[in-house]
Amino acid sequence: MKPWTVLRMLMLWAVLGVPAVGAADRATGKQEPSELQAEGLLGDEARASAAPAPRTSDGHPDFSGFWKGSHATKPVGNIGKDLPGFTLPLTAAGRAALHDNLTKVVDPESRCIIGGIPRHDASALPFSIVQGRDHVAFQYMYTYFRSVPFDVRKHEQDPDPTFFGNEIGWWERDTFVIDSVGFKSSNMWIDENGNPQSDAMHATERWTRPDAGHLHVEVTIDDPKYYTHSFKYSRTWIAGKPDEHLREYVCSENNVDLAHLGPGPGGIRTDGTRGYDVAPLPAIPPSPEAYGK
Amino acid sequence: MQLRLIVAAAGMAFLHTLCAQAHHSFAAEFDGTKPVRLTGTITRIEWTNPHSYFYLDVKDNNGGVNQWACESGNPGALSRRGWRKGDIKIGDALIVDGYLAKDGSRLIDARRVKLPDGRTVYGGSAGDGGPADSSAAAPAATGASKQ
Repeated sequence: MKPWTVLRMLMLWAVLGVPAVGAADRATGKQEPSELQAEGLLGDEARASAAPAPRTSDGHPDFSGFWKGSHATKPVGNIGKDLPGFTLPLTAAGRAALHDNLTKVVDPESRCIIGGIPRHDASALPFSIVQGRDHVAFQYMYTYFRSVPFDVRKHEQDPDPTFFGNEIGWWERDTFVIDSVGFKSSNMWIDENGNPQSDAMHATERWTRPDAGHLHVEVTIDDPKYYTHSFKYSRTWIAGKPDEHLREYVCSENNVDLAHLGPGPGGIRTDGTRGYDVAPLPAIPPSPEAYGK
Repeated sequence: MQLRLIVAAAGMAFLHTLCAQAHHSFAAEFDGTKPVRLTGTITRIEWTNPHSYFYLDVKDNNGGVNQWACESGNPGALSRRGWRKGDIKIGDALIVDGYLAKDGSRLIDARRVKLPDGRTVYGGSAGDGGPADSSAAAPAATGASKQ
């Protein structure tokens, strides 16, 4: 294959968002992991176990483990992933809130505020689950956690607003259902793309472990203040290796960024991902004097 | 040249598919149209979350010295790429390629760092949506990482 043909294919892959690992493999003939895989942030689908999911002594599927994202989840960080054109059914108030997030609001997570639910469900970051006898604890990479009790069917009356909401849970055969209301009215983005979330949101997560190597969630989002009708988001994670685990991460330790951050998540491409489609970093960039500095 | 273009395109493909897993988006802080190279001496190192920082004294054309802050990935991310905290120390000379901060301060996103031992490593925050860097595309092939 001629080099320019390869180049054109790669450019097309870059635009279309086809898994980069495949592009690199074809270009080099080597098995080179993508950067996220190299950094241990993505699971290895080829090695995911298809054995039956383990169960706890009380017979429930055991969700415990270190869970990593999959190349199959695209676009990551976009709560509209499963909707046609990734288009969310925003109300007028929702559109106004989105406009504010894009133009006035610095990403809450970059201010070291908990992302909450459902944003954590859409995140690319790995997480851990520790399942006990009467609750499931989710541990997130930014050293946040939530603990959801089993067999609680009624929300607190007038719960204090929180980022994870007032969460109750119960089992429906092998599915663990988490029902959440009582969210914060500000400082929450529903996803990485800056889409809005209101205090009227009701999130219902249905968690399953179809086999030992996979964890799945389907989230139903009902937020009448910002969305005209409810919608769903679903994805699957891949089990990490037994020796993988979360490490300490203190977001507020040295958040130098805060003084320099502008609003919004950056550009959103037509494929629902965030980021730039500009030329790569030059081999020899100019010196600061080129910018009068 | 053709090989260089292919590697660059592969870099774009890689970074395009990276996920939104950074602490903040590139665009919220840095200007993708203003790539810059700093050549200077390390005066301070902060191996911290949510980002690591190192500070360089950089001479300008008038003989003056300006201090620049270089923002990198978090310690865990850098370590996984083979950049350990002991790889740089105060007084080391570094060449750092990245992008200027939008607010005009002497702060850059340190996306490509040539370490004192000669290795070139990707210093940015993977998945922040920033412009591609060919050095991130195939670290094993370019020797840019120990991994």
